[in-house]
Amino acid sequence: MTVQITGTMLLQLVVSGLLAGGLYALVALGLSLIFGVMRVINVAHGTLLMLGAYTTYWLFALLGMNPFLSLVVSIPVLFVIGVVLQKLFVHRVVHAPELSSLLLTFGISIFIANAAMLAWSADYRSVEFLTGSFLLGPIALSKPRLVSFVVALAVTGLAFLFLHRTKTGKAIRATSQHRDVAQVCGINVRRIDLITFGLGAGLAGAGGSLVSVMFAVYPEMGQIYVFKSFLVIVLGGAGNYPGALLGGLLLGLVEQLSSLYLTTQVSEAIAYLLLVVVLLIRPTGLLGGRT
Amino acid sequence: MKRLGPALLALGLLAWLALWPLWASGYRVRFMLELFMWVALAQSWNLISGLTGYVSFGHVAFYGTGAYTAGILILRADWPWPLAVLAGGVTAPILALLIGYPCLRLKGPYFAIAMLGLNEVMRVVVSYFDGLTGGGLGLSLPTLHASVPVYYAMGATALGATILAFAIITSRFGLRLMSIREDEVAAEAMGIDTSRYKLYAFLLSAVAPGIAGGLFARDQGYIEPISVFPLLTTITMIVMCLFGGKGTIFGPVLGAVLLSVFQELVWARFLYVHQVLFGAIIVAVVLFMPKGILGVLQERYRLPRTI
Repeated sequence: MTVQITGTMLLQLVVSGLLAGGLYALVALGLSLIFGVMRVINVAHGTLLMLGAYTTYWLFALLGMNPFLSLVVSIPVLFVIGVVLQKLFVHRVVHAPELSSLLLTFGISIFIANAAMLAWSADYRSVEFLTGSFLLGPIALSKPRLVSFVVALAVTGLAFLFLHRTKTGKAIRATSQHRDVAQVCGINVRRIDLITFGLGAGLAGAGGSLVSVMFAVYPEMGQIYVFKSFLVIVLGGAGNYPGALLGGLLLGLVEQLSSLYLTTQVSEAIAYLLLVVVLLIRPTGLLGGRT
Repeated sequence: MKRLGPALLALGLLAWLALWPLWASGYRVRFMLELFMWVALAQSWNLISGLTGYVSFGHVAFYGTGAYTAGILILRADWPWPLAVLAGGVTAPILALLIGYPCLRLKGPYFAIAMLGLNEVMRVVVSYFDGLTGGGLGLSLPTLHASVPVYYAMGATALGATILAFAIITSRFGLRLMSIREDEVAAEAMGIDTSRYKLYAFLLSAVAPGIAGGLFARDQGYIEPISVFPLLTTITMIVMCLFGGKGTIFGPVLGAVLLSVFQELVWARFLYVHQVLFGAIIVAVVLFMPKGILGVLQERYRLPRTI
Protein backbone atom coordinates (compact mmCIF):
# COMPACT_ATOMS: atom_id res chain seq x y z
CA MET A 1 0.00 0.00 0.00
CA THR A 2 1.66 3.20 -1.11
CA VAL A 3 0.08 6.49 -0.31
CA GLN A 4 1.16 9.73 -1.87
CA ILE A 5 2.07 11.92 1.07
CA THR A 6 1.37 15.55 0.42
CA GLY A 7 2.31 18.59 2.43
CA THR A 8 -1.31 19.22 3.30
CA MET A 9 -1.74 15.74 4.66
CA LEU A 10 1.33 16.14 6.81
CA LEU A 11 0.12 19.47 8.12
CA GLN A 12 -3.27 17.99 8.84
CA LEU A 13 -1.70 15.19 10.84
CA VAL A 14 0.53 17.55 12.77
CA VAL A 15 -2.50 19.64 13.69
CA SER A 16 -4.51 16.58 14.75
CA GLY A 17 -1.54 15.32 16.71
CA LEU A 18 -1.17 18.55 18.62
CA LEU A 19 -4.90 18.62 19.36
CA ALA A 20 -4.75 15.11 20.80
CA GLY A 21 -1.56 15.94 22.67
CA GLY A 22 -3.12 18.75 24.68
CA LEU A 23 -5.51 16.26 26.23
CA TYR A 24 -2.74 13.76 26.97
CA ALA A 25 -0.81 16.48 28.72
CA LEU A 26 -3.78 17.35 30.92
CA VAL A 27 -4.38 13.75 31.99
CA ALA A 28 -0.68 13.06 32.48
CA LEU A 29 -0.28 16.13 34.67
CA GLY A 30 -2.66 14.54 37.18
CA LEU A 31 -0.68 11.32 37.26
CA SER A 32 2.58 13.23 37.45
CA LEU A 33 1.43 15.35 40.42
CA ILE A 34 0.49 12.30 42.46
CA PHE A 35 3.70 10.51 41.54
CA GLY A 36 5.76 13.58 42.36
CA VAL A 37 4.32 14.06 45.82
CA MET A 38 3.79 10.47 46.97
CA ARG A 39 5.94 8.35 44.66
CA VAL A 40 2.75 6.43 43.94
CA ILE A 41 1.83 5.51 40.39
CA ASN A 42 -1.93 5.64 40.44
CA VAL A 43 -2.95 2.73 38.22
CA ALA A 44 -6.57 3.77 38.80
CA HIS A 45 -5.98 7.08 37.02
CA GLY A 46 -7.69 5.88 33.85
CA THR A 47 -10.65 4.61 35.84
CA LEU A 48 -11.04 8.05 37.41
CA LEU A 49 -10.98 9.47 33.89
CA MET A 50 -13.80 7.09 33.02
CA LEU A 51 -15.84 8.39 35.98
CA GLY A 52 -15.32 11.92 34.71
CA ALA A 53 -16.55 10.87 31.29
CA TYR A 54 -19.68 9.28 32.77
CA THR A 55 -20.35 12.39 34.86
CA THR A 56 -20.41 14.43 31.68
CA TYR A 57 -22.43 11.82 29.84
CA TRP A 58 -25.18 11.68 32.46
CA LEU A 59 -25.32 15.44 32.88
CA PHE A 60 -25.68 15.72 29.13
CA ALA A 61 -28.16 12.86 28.68
CA LEU A 62 -30.38 13.65 31.66
CA LEU A 63 -30.12 17.39 32.04
CA GLY A 64 -28.89 18.41 28.62
CA MET A 65 -25.92 20.16 30.15
CA ASN A 66 -23.20 21.52 27.87
CA PRO A 67 -20.37 18.93 28.09
CA PHE A 68 -17.67 21.57 28.25
CA LEU A 69 -19.54 23.33 31.03
CA SER A 70 -19.88 20.02 32.87
CA LEU A 71 -16.21 20.22 33.84
CA VAL A 72 -17.42 22.51 36.58
CA VAL A 73 -19.15 19.44 38.03
CA SER A 74 -16.82 16.63 37.02
CA ILE A 75 -13.67 18.20 38.45
CA PRO A 76 -15.11 18.72 41.96
CA VAL A 77 -16.82 15.30 41.92
CA LEU A 78 -13.56 13.56 41.04
CA PHE A 79 -11.68 15.74 43.51
CA VAL A 80 -13.90 14.42 46.28
CA ILE A 81 -13.58 10.83 45.05
CA GLY A 82 -9.80 11.25 44.97
CA VAL A 83 -9.72 12.62 48.51
CA VAL A 84 -11.88 9.75 49.74
CA LEU A 85 -9.66 7.14 48.04
CA GLN A 86 -6.57 8.75 49.53
CA LYS A 87 -8.12 8.98 52.98
CA LEU A 88 -9.42 5.40 53.01
CA PHE A 89 -6.75 3.47 51.14
CA VAL A 90 -3.82 5.10 49.46
CA HIS A 91 -2.36 6.90 52.51
CA ARG A 92 -1.67 3.49 54.03
CA VAL A 93 0.77 2.55 51.29
CA VAL A 94 2.57 5.86 50.69
CA HIS A 95 5.63 4.65 52.58
CA ALA A 96 5.23 0.98 51.71
CA PRO A 97 7.22 -0.68 48.91
CA GLU A 98 6.12 0.17 45.41
CA LEU A 99 4.50 -3.24 44.98
CA SER A 100 1.83 -2.33 47.54
CA SER A 101 0.78 0.95 45.99
CA LEU A 102 0.77 -0.47 42.46
CA LEU A 103 -1.33 -3.46 43.46
CA LEU A 104 -3.62 -1.40 45.67
CA THR A 105 -4.48 1.12 42.98
CA PHE A 106 -4.77 -1.73 40.46
CA GLY A 107 -7.33 -3.37 42.76
CA ILE A 108 -9.21 -0.09 43.15
CA SER A 109 -9.27 0.33 39.41
CA ILE A 110 -10.67 -3.16 38.78
CA PHE A 111 -13.25 -2.62 41.47
CA ILE A 112 -14.49 0.70 40.14
CA ALA A 113 -14.42 -0.30 36.47
CA ASN A 114 -16.50 -3.42 37.11
CA ALA A 115 -18.86 -1.66 39.47
CA ALA A 116 -19.42 0.79 36.60
CA MET A 117 -20.03 -2.19 34.34
CA LEU A 118 -22.71 -3.45 36.73
CA ALA A 119 -24.30 -0.06 37.17
CA TRP A 120 -24.20 1.27 33.63
CA SER A 121 -23.57 -1.86 31.49
CA ALA A 122 -20.73 -2.26 29.01
CA ASP A 123 -22.61 -0.37 26.27
CA TYR A 124 -20.76 2.25 24.30
CA ARG A 125 -22.34 5.64 24.81
CA SER A 126 -21.61 8.88 23.09
CA VAL A 127 -22.10 12.54 23.80
CA GLU A 128 -23.19 14.03 20.52
CA PHE A 129 -22.71 17.66 21.13
CA LEU A 130 -20.45 19.37 18.64
CA THR A 131 -20.05 17.72 15.28
CA GLY A 132 -18.42 18.72 12.06
CA SER A 133 -15.26 20.69 11.44
CA PHE A 134 -13.96 24.13 10.83
CA LEU A 135 -12.23 24.41 7.49
CA LEU A 136 -9.03 26.39 7.57
CA GLY A 137 -7.91 26.38 3.97
CA PRO A 138 -7.15 22.76 3.19
CA ILE A 139 -6.97 21.76 6.87
CA ALA A 140 -10.02 20.43 8.64
CA LEU A 141 -10.23 21.10 12.35
CA SER A 142 -12.74 18.85 14.05
CA LYS A 143 -14.89 21.09 16.25
CA PRO A 144 -15.05 18.86 19.33
CA ARG A 145 -11.31 18.26 19.22
CA LEU A 146 -10.47 21.91 18.81
CA VAL A 147 -12.70 23.02 21.68
CA SER A 148 -11.41 20.16 23.84
CA PHE A 149 -7.87 21.17 23.11
CA VAL A 150 -8.53 24.75 24.11
CA VAL A 151 -10.30 23.69 27.30
CA ALA A 152 -7.53 21.19 28.11
CA LEU A 153 -4.91 23.90 27.73
CA ALA A 154 -6.96 26.25 29.87
CA VAL A 155 -7.35 23.70 32.67
CA THR A 156 -3.66 22.79 32.47
CA GLY A 157 -2.80 26.50 32.61
CA LEU A 158 -5.01 26.98 35.66
CA ALA A 159 -3.35 24.02 37.34
CA PHE A 160 0.08 25.55 36.68
CA LEU A 161 -1.11 28.88 38.07
CA PHE A 162 -2.37 27.08 41.14
CA LEU A 163 0.92 25.26 41.62
CA HIS A 164 3.03 28.38 41.22
CA ARG A 165 0.96 31.19 42.69
CA THR A 166 -0.95 29.82 45.65
CA LYS A 167 0.42 28.82 49.01
CA THR A 168 -1.07 25.33 48.75
CA GLY A 169 0.35 24.91 45.27
CA LYS A 170 3.80 25.89 46.47
CA ALA A 171 3.46 23.47 49.36
CA ILE A 172 2.63 20.71 46.89
CA ARG A 173 5.74 21.45 44.87
CA ALA A 174 7.85 21.67 48.00
CA THR A 175 6.57 18.30 49.18
CA SER A 176 7.36 16.72 45.86
CA GLN A 177 10.86 18.17 45.93
CA HIS A 178 11.67 16.89 49.38
CA ARG A 179 9.05 15.43 51.62
CA ASP A 180 11.01 15.49 54.87
CA VAL A 181 12.33 19.00 54.47
CA ALA A 182 8.84 20.18 53.55
CA GLN A 183 7.56 18.65 56.75
CA VAL A 184 10.29 20.31 58.77
CA CYS A 185 9.26 23.63 57.24
CA GLY A 186 5.83 23.22 58.75
CA ILE A 187 3.94 21.79 55.80
CA ASN A 188 1.30 19.26 56.78
CA VAL A 189 2.29 16.64 54.24
CA ARG A 190 -0.66 14.37 55.00
CA ARG A 191 -2.97 17.21 54.06
CA ILE A 192 -0.90 17.91 50.95
CA ASP A 193 -1.22 14.23 50.02
CA LEU A 194 -5.00 14.49 50.26
CA ILE A 195 -5.17 17.66 48.18
CA THR A 196 -2.74 16.28 45.61
CA PHE A 197 -4.63 13.06 45.12
CA GLY A 198 -7.86 15.02 44.84
CA LEU A 199 -6.28 17.35 42.32
CA GLY A 200 -4.81 14.49 40.31
CA ALA A 201 -8.22 12.80 40.25
CA GLY A 202 -9.85 16.10 39.30
CA LEU A 203 -7.52 16.50 36.34
CA ALA A 204 -8.29 12.92 35.29
CA GLY A 205 -11.98 13.78 35.57
CA ALA A 206 -11.54 16.88 33.42
CA GLY A 207 -9.73 14.71 30.87
CA GLY A 208 -12.62 12.25 30.95
CA SER A 209 -15.18 14.97 30.33
CA LEU A 210 -13.23 16.13 27.30
CA VAL A 211 -12.66 12.61 26.00
CA SER A 212 -16.40 11.89 26.20
CA VAL A 213 -17.08 14.54 23.56
CA MET A 214 -14.74 12.85 21.10
CA PHE A 215 -14.84 9.13 21.80
CA ALA A 216 -17.19 6.49 23.08
CA VAL A 217 -17.86 6.30 26.81
CA TYR A 218 -17.70 2.83 28.39
CA PRO A 219 -16.41 1.38 31.66
CA GLU A 220 -13.06 0.19 30.31
CA MET A 221 -12.29 3.29 28.29
CA GLY A 222 -9.73 4.51 30.81
CA GLN A 223 -7.26 1.67 30.71
CA ILE A 224 -5.23 2.91 27.81
CA TYR A 225 -4.84 6.34 29.40
CA VAL A 226 -2.85 5.11 32.38
CA PHE A 227 -0.30 3.76 30.00
CA LYS A 228 -0.31 6.80 27.75
CA SER A 229 -0.09 9.21 30.67
CA PHE A 230 2.86 7.33 32.03
CA LEU A 231 4.50 7.45 28.64
CA VAL A 232 3.97 11.21 28.59
CA ILE A 233 5.64 11.47 32.00
CA VAL A 234 8.58 9.37 30.82
CA LEU A 235 8.92 11.48 27.67
CA GLY A 236 8.85 14.70 29.65
CA GLY A 237 10.90 13.44 32.57
CA ALA A 238 9.48 12.24 35.88
CA GLY A 239 8.64 15.05 38.27
CA ASN A 240 9.04 17.65 35.54
CA TYR A 241 5.60 19.25 35.20
CA PRO A 242 6.23 21.45 32.12
CA GLY A 243 7.80 18.34 30.59
CA ALA A 244 4.37 16.71 30.73
CA LEU A 245 3.05 19.29 28.29
CA LEU A 246 5.87 18.64 25.84
CA GLY A 247 5.53 14.88 26.29
CA GLY A 248 1.79 15.04 25.63
CA LEU A 249 2.15 17.00 22.43
CA LEU A 250 4.96 14.69 21.30
CA LEU A 251 2.90 11.58 21.92
CA GLY A 252 -0.02 13.04 19.97
CA LEU A 253 2.27 13.86 17.06
CA VAL A 254 3.95 10.46 16.99
CA GLU A 255 0.60 8.68 17.06
CA GLN A 256 -0.83 10.72 14.23
CA LEU A 257 2.24 10.57 12.04
CA SER A 258 2.56 6.81 12.45
CA SER A 259 -0.99 6.50 11.17
CA LEU A 260 0.37 7.66 7.81
CA TYR A 261 1.99 4.29 7.33
CA LEU A 262 -0.01 2.04 9.61
CA THR A 263 -3.59 1.69 10.70
CA THR A 264 -4.68 3.89 13.58
CA GLN A 265 -4.98 0.90 15.88
CA VAL A 266 -1.32 0.10 15.46
CA SER A 267 -0.46 3.58 16.65
CA GLU A 268 -0.99 2.20 20.15
CA ALA A 269 1.79 -0.26 19.50
CA ILE A 270 3.91 2.63 18.23
CA ALA A 271 3.37 4.48 21.49
CA TYR A 272 4.53 1.36 23.26
CA LEU A 273 7.61 1.06 21.11
CA LEU A 274 8.33 4.70 21.89
CA LEU A 275 8.29 3.93 25.62
CA VAL A 276 10.70 1.04 25.24
CA VAL A 277 13.06 3.05 23.05
CA VAL A 278 13.05 6.07 25.36
CA LEU A 279 13.74 3.83 28.35
CA LEU A 280 16.63 2.28 26.47
CA ILE A 281 18.38 5.42 25.33
CA ARG A 282 17.25 8.18 27.64
CA PRO A 283 15.54 6.90 30.77
CA THR A 284 15.54 10.34 32.43
CA GLY A 285 13.17 11.69 29.80
CA LEU A 286 13.76 14.14 27.00
CA LEU A 287 13.91 17.23 29.20
CA GLY A 288 15.61 15.35 31.99
CA GLY A 289 13.86 14.83 35.28
CA ARG A 290 14.37 14.33 38.92
CA THR A 291 15.02 10.74 39.91
CA MET B 1 11.80 -39.73 58.98
CA LYS B 2 10.44 -36.28 59.57
CA ARG B 3 10.11 -35.66 55.86
CA LEU B 4 8.50 -39.00 55.09
CA GLY B 5 4.96 -37.87 55.95
CA PRO B 6 4.77 -34.90 53.60
CA ALA B 7 6.56 -36.87 50.89
CA LEU B 8 4.04 -39.70 51.08
CA LEU B 9 1.21 -37.21 51.07
CA ALA B 10 2.61 -35.52 47.97
CA LEU B 11 3.07 -38.85 46.19
CA GLY B 12 -0.47 -39.92 47.04
CA LEU B 13 -1.83 -36.62 45.74
CA LEU B 14 0.16 -36.95 42.52
CA ALA B 15 -1.06 -40.51 41.98
CA TRP B 16 -4.65 -39.41 42.57
CA LEU B 17 -4.29 -36.56 40.07
CA ALA B 18 -2.62 -38.88 37.54
CA LEU B 19 -5.48 -41.35 37.72
CA TRP B 20 -8.17 -38.64 37.74
CA PRO B 21 -9.04 -38.80 34.00
CA LEU B 22 -9.68 -42.54 34.33
CA TRP B 23 -12.81 -42.16 36.38
CA ALA B 24 -13.78 -38.50 36.55
CA SER B 25 -16.31 -37.04 34.14
CA GLY B 26 -15.18 -34.88 31.26
CA TYR B 27 -16.38 -31.80 33.10
CA ARG B 28 -14.29 -32.58 36.15
CA VAL B 29 -11.23 -33.36 34.07
CA ARG B 30 -11.66 -29.96 32.45
CA PHE B 31 -11.99 -28.27 35.82
CA MET B 32 -8.77 -29.90 36.99
CA LEU B 33 -7.03 -28.96 33.75
CA GLU B 34 -7.95 -25.33 34.30
CA LEU B 35 -6.83 -25.56 37.89
CA PHE B 36 -3.42 -26.79 36.69
CA MET B 37 -3.29 -23.86 34.33
CA TRP B 38 -3.98 -21.40 37.16
CA VAL B 39 -1.35 -23.03 39.35
CA ALA B 40 1.21 -22.66 36.56
CA LEU B 41 0.23 -19.04 35.89
CA ALA B 42 0.05 -17.93 39.54
CA GLN B 43 3.31 -19.70 40.24
CA SER B 44 5.10 -17.95 37.40
CA TRP B 45 3.73 -14.54 38.35
CA ASN B 46 5.13 -15.24 41.80
CA LEU B 47 8.65 -15.70 40.39
CA ILE B 48 8.94 -12.15 39.14
CA SER B 49 6.49 -10.21 41.30
CA GLY B 50 6.37 -12.24 44.50
CA LEU B 51 10.13 -12.65 44.74
CA THR B 52 11.58 -9.43 43.33
CA GLY B 53 8.65 -7.11 44.05
CA TYR B 54 8.48 -5.94 40.42
CA VAL B 55 4.80 -6.11 39.52
CA SER B 56 3.93 -7.64 36.17
CA PHE B 57 0.53 -6.33 35.08
CA GLY B 58 0.74 -8.04 31.71
CA HIS B 59 1.69 -11.63 32.27
CA VAL B 60 -1.13 -12.75 30.02
CA ALA B 61 0.97 -11.44 27.10
CA PHE B 62 3.23 -14.48 27.49
CA TYR B 63 0.25 -16.77 27.62
CA GLY B 64 -1.10 -15.30 24.40
CA THR B 65 2.32 -15.42 22.77
CA GLY B 66 2.56 -19.11 23.61
CA ALA B 67 -0.93 -19.72 22.26
CA TYR B 68 -0.14 -18.02 18.95
CA THR B 69 3.27 -19.66 18.65
CA ALA B 70 1.72 -23.10 19.05
CA GLY B 71 -1.24 -22.26 16.84
CA ILE B 72 0.89 -20.94 13.99
CA LEU B 73 3.40 -23.81 14.15
CA ILE B 74 0.66 -26.43 14.18
CA LEU B 75 -1.36 -24.85 11.41
CA ARG B 76 1.24 -23.33 9.11
CA ALA B 77 4.25 -25.59 9.68
CA ASP B 78 2.57 -28.89 10.57
CA TRP B 79 4.49 -29.32 13.77
CA PRO B 80 3.26 -32.01 16.14
CA TRP B 81 1.42 -30.28 18.98
CA PRO B 82 3.73 -31.22 21.88
CA LEU B 83 6.69 -29.65 20.08
CA ALA B 84 4.68 -26.58 19.05
CA VAL B 85 3.57 -26.11 22.65
CA LEU B 86 7.15 -26.33 23.90
CA ALA B 87 8.12 -23.73 21.31
CA GLY B 88 5.68 -21.40 23.08
CA GLY B 89 7.85 -21.84 26.15
CA VAL B 90 10.73 -20.39 24.10
CA THR B 91 9.05 -17.50 22.29
CA ALA B 92 7.44 -16.13 25.45
CA PRO B 93 10.81 -15.63 27.20
CA ILE B 94 12.10 -13.97 24.02
CA LEU B 95 9.28 -11.44 24.30
CA ALA B 96 10.14 -11.10 27.98
CA LEU B 97 13.74 -10.32 27.03
CA LEU B 98 12.63 -7.57 24.65
CA ILE B 99 10.50 -5.90 27.34
CA GLY B 100 12.59 -6.78 30.36
CA TYR B 101 15.97 -5.67 29.11
CA PRO B 102 15.08 -1.98 28.77
CA CYS B 103 12.59 -1.82 31.63
CA LEU B 104 14.27 -3.87 34.35
CA ARG B 105 17.55 -1.98 34.08
CA LEU B 106 15.68 0.83 35.82
CA LYS B 107 14.39 0.83 39.34
CA GLY B 108 10.89 1.99 40.04
CA PRO B 109 7.56 1.67 38.32
CA TYR B 110 8.78 1.57 34.70
CA PHE B 111 8.48 -2.17 34.45
CA ALA B 112 4.99 -2.32 35.94
CA ILE B 113 3.64 0.29 33.56
CA ALA B 114 5.35 -1.21 30.54
CA MET B 115 3.66 -4.49 31.40
CA LEU B 116 0.32 -2.72 31.90
CA GLY B 117 0.00 -1.88 28.23
CA LEU B 118 1.54 -5.06 26.90
CA ASN B 119 -1.55 -7.21 26.47
CA GLU B 120 -3.31 -4.46 24.51
CA VAL B 121 -0.29 -4.01 22.31
CA MET B 122 0.09 -7.73 21.67
CA ARG B 123 -3.58 -7.91 20.73
CA VAL B 124 -3.12 -5.10 18.22
CA VAL B 125 0.09 -6.58 16.81
CA VAL B 126 -1.47 -10.02 16.39
CA SER B 127 -4.48 -8.52 14.65
CA TYR B 128 -2.23 -6.50 12.38
CA PHE B 129 -0.18 -9.39 11.01
CA ASP B 130 -3.26 -11.17 9.81
CA GLY B 131 -1.49 -13.13 7.08
CA LEU B 132 0.22 -15.20 9.73
CA THR B 133 -2.21 -15.00 12.62
CA GLY B 134 -5.56 -14.86 10.89
CA GLY B 135 -6.11 -11.37 12.38
CA GLY B 136 -9.39 -10.81 14.15
CA LEU B 137 -10.83 -13.97 12.63
CA GLY B 138 -8.42 -16.07 14.64
CA LEU B 139 -6.91 -19.46 13.93
CA SER B 140 -8.79 -22.73 13.79
CA LEU B 141 -6.58 -25.70 14.52
CA PRO B 142 -7.28 -29.12 13.02
CA THR B 143 -9.53 -31.12 15.33
CA LEU B 144 -7.79 -33.53 17.60
CA HIS B 145 -9.20 -35.32 20.59
CA ALA B 146 -6.31 -34.83 22.92
CA SER B 147 -7.87 -33.55 26.11
CA VAL B 148 -6.34 -36.34 28.22
CA PRO B 149 -2.77 -35.79 26.92
CA VAL B 150 -3.32 -32.06 27.33
CA TYR B 151 -4.46 -32.74 30.89
CA TYR B 152 -1.19 -34.50 31.68
CA ALA B 153 0.86 -31.86 29.88
CA MET B 154 -0.84 -29.07 31.83
CA GLY B 155 -0.35 -31.02 35.04
CA ALA B 156 3.33 -31.42 34.23
CA THR B 157 3.57 -27.67 33.56
CA ALA B 158 1.98 -26.85 36.92
CA LEU B 159 4.24 -29.35 38.67
CA GLY B 160 7.28 -28.05 36.82
CA ALA B 161 6.44 -24.46 37.75
CA THR B 162 6.08 -25.46 41.40
CA ILE B 163 9.35 -27.42 41.40
CA LEU B 164 11.04 -24.43 39.77
CA ALA B 165 9.65 -22.17 42.51
CA PHE B 166 10.92 -24.60 45.14
CA ALA B 167 14.37 -24.77 43.55
CA ILE B 168 14.60 -20.99 43.29
CA ILE B 169 13.22 -20.07 46.69
CA THR B 170 15.55 -22.48 48.48
CA SER B 171 18.61 -21.34 46.52
CA ARG B 172 21.07 -18.45 46.68
CA PHE B 173 19.48 -17.15 43.49
CA GLY B 174 16.16 -16.92 45.35
CA LEU B 175 17.81 -15.09 48.24
CA ARG B 176 19.26 -12.59 45.80
CA LEU B 177 15.83 -12.01 44.28
CA MET B 178 14.23 -11.55 47.69
CA SER B 179 16.98 -9.13 48.72
CA ILE B 180 16.04 -7.03 45.69
CA ARG B 181 12.47 -7.01 46.93
CA GLU B 182 13.43 -6.00 50.46
CA ASP B 183 15.95 -3.31 49.57
CA GLU B 184 17.31 -3.01 46.08
CA VAL B 185 19.95 -0.41 46.88
CA ALA B 186 21.30 -2.49 49.75
CA ALA B 187 21.32 -5.57 47.52
CA GLU B 188 23.35 -3.68 44.96
CA ALA B 189 25.72 -2.45 47.63
CA MET B 190 26.35 -6.08 48.58
CA GLY B 191 27.49 -6.80 45.07
CA ILE B 192 24.34 -8.28 43.57
CA ASP B 193 23.91 -7.43 39.91
CA THR B 194 20.24 -6.60 40.39
CA SER B 195 19.38 -5.86 36.75
CA ARG B 196 20.71 -9.23 35.68
CA TYR B 197 18.91 -11.25 38.35
CA LYS B 198 15.64 -9.40 37.82
CA LEU B 199 15.90 -10.22 34.14
CA TYR B 200 16.65 -13.89 34.86
CA ALA B 201 13.64 -14.13 37.14
CA PHE B 202 11.48 -12.47 34.50
CA LEU B 203 12.64 -14.79 31.71
CA LEU B 204 11.98 -17.84 33.87
CA SER B 205 8.55 -16.49 34.78
CA ALA B 206 7.58 -16.29 31.11
CA VAL B 207 8.22 -19.99 30.35
CA ALA B 208 5.23 -21.57 32.06
CA PRO B 209 2.67 -19.07 30.70
CA GLY B 210 4.09 -19.64 27.22
CA ILE B 211 3.57 -23.39 27.52
CA ALA B 212 0.19 -23.05 29.22
CA GLY B 213 -0.99 -20.72 26.45
CA GLY B 214 0.08 -23.24 23.82
CA LEU B 215 -1.78 -26.01 25.62
CA PHE B 216 -4.86 -23.81 25.84
CA ALA B 217 -4.66 -23.24 22.08
CA ARG B 218 -4.39 -26.98 21.40
CA ASP B 219 -7.16 -27.77 23.83
CA GLN B 220 -9.63 -25.16 22.57
CA GLY B 221 -8.79 -25.71 18.92
CA TYR B 222 -9.56 -22.07 18.19
CA ILE B 223 -7.77 -18.91 19.22
CA GLU B 224 -8.42 -15.25 18.53
CA PRO B 225 -6.76 -12.09 19.87
CA ILE B 226 -9.51 -11.44 22.40
CA SER B 227 -9.53 -14.97 23.80
CA VAL B 228 -5.81 -15.25 24.51
CA PHE B 229 -4.96 -11.74 25.73
CA PRO B 230 -7.68 -11.00 28.29
CA LEU B 231 -6.80 -8.68 31.15
CA LEU B 232 -8.93 -10.89 33.38
CA THR B 233 -6.36 -13.69 33.14
CA THR B 234 -3.65 -11.43 34.50
CA ILE B 235 -5.99 -10.22 37.24
CA THR B 236 -6.86 -13.78 38.18
CA MET B 237 -3.28 -14.96 38.50
CA ILE B 238 -2.38 -11.91 40.56
CA VAL B 239 -5.35 -12.43 42.88
CA MET B 240 -4.53 -16.12 43.31
CA CYS B 241 -0.90 -15.48 44.10
CA LEU B 242 -1.64 -12.63 46.50
CA PHE B 243 -4.46 -14.44 48.23
CA GLY B 244 -2.45 -17.63 48.73
CA GLY B 245 0.72 -15.80 49.72
CA LYS B 246 3.22 -14.17 47.43
CA GLY B 247 6.87 -15.07 47.70
CA THR B 248 6.14 -18.55 49.07
CA ILE B 249 6.32 -21.91 47.31
CA PHE B 250 2.84 -23.21 47.96
CA GLY B 251 0.99 -19.91 48.34
CA PRO B 252 0.16 -19.66 44.63
CA VAL B 253 -0.99 -23.29 44.64
CA LEU B 254 -3.22 -22.67 47.64
CA GLY B 255 -4.61 -19.48 46.11
CA ALA B 256 -5.28 -21.18 42.78
CA VAL B 257 -7.10 -24.08 44.41
CA LEU B 258 -9.24 -21.95 46.73
CA LEU B 259 -10.22 -19.36 44.16
CA SER B 260 -10.84 -21.91 41.39
CA VAL B 261 -13.25 -23.76 43.62
CA PHE B 262 -15.05 -20.56 44.67
CA GLN B 263 -15.11 -19.37 41.11
CA GLU B 264 -16.64 -22.64 39.96
CA LEU B 265 -19.24 -22.71 42.69
CA VAL B 266 -20.42 -19.15 42.80
CA TRP B 267 -18.81 -16.38 40.92
CA ALA B 268 -18.56 -17.59 37.38
CA ARG B 269 -22.28 -16.99 37.01
CA PHE B 270 -21.89 -13.29 37.64
CA LEU B 271 -18.95 -12.08 35.59
CA TYR B 272 -18.80 -8.48 36.74
CA VAL B 273 -19.64 -9.20 40.36
CA HIS B 274 -16.83 -11.70 40.28
CA GLN B 275 -14.40 -9.08 38.96
CA VAL B 276 -15.60 -6.49 41.47
CA LEU B 277 -14.81 -9.08 44.15
CA PHE B 278 -11.37 -9.66 42.67
CA GLY B 279 -10.69 -5.94 42.91
CA ALA B 280 -11.87 -5.93 46.52
CA ILE B 281 -9.72 -8.97 47.37
CA ILE B 282 -6.60 -7.29 45.97
CA VAL B 283 -7.26 -4.15 48.01
CA ALA B 284 -8.04 -6.13 51.16
CA VAL B 285 -5.01 -8.43 50.86
CA VAL B 286 -2.61 -5.56 50.21
CA LEU B 287 -3.90 -3.60 53.19
CA PHE B 288 -4.68 -6.26 55.77
CA MET B 289 -3.00 -9.52 54.84
CA PRO B 290 0.05 -8.70 52.73
CA LYS B 291 1.54 -12.15 53.24
CA GLY B 292 -1.57 -13.97 52.12
CA ILE B 293 -3.21 -16.98 53.72
CA LEU B 294 -0.06 -19.04 53.80
CA GLY B 295 1.82 -16.19 55.43
CA VAL B 296 -0.81 -15.99 58.17
CA LEU B 297 -0.67 -19.77 58.68
CA GLN B 298 3.12 -19.68 58.79
CA GLU B 299 3.05 -17.12 61.56
CA ARG B 300 0.30 -18.72 63.58
CA TYR B 301 1.46 -22.32 63.42
CA ARG B 302 5.18 -21.68 63.15
CA LEU B 303 5.43 -23.51 59.88
CA PRO B 304 8.80 -23.53 58.15
CA ARG B 305 9.45 -20.40 56.14
CA THR B 306 10.28 -22.26 52.99
CA ILE B 307 6.92 -23.67 52.05
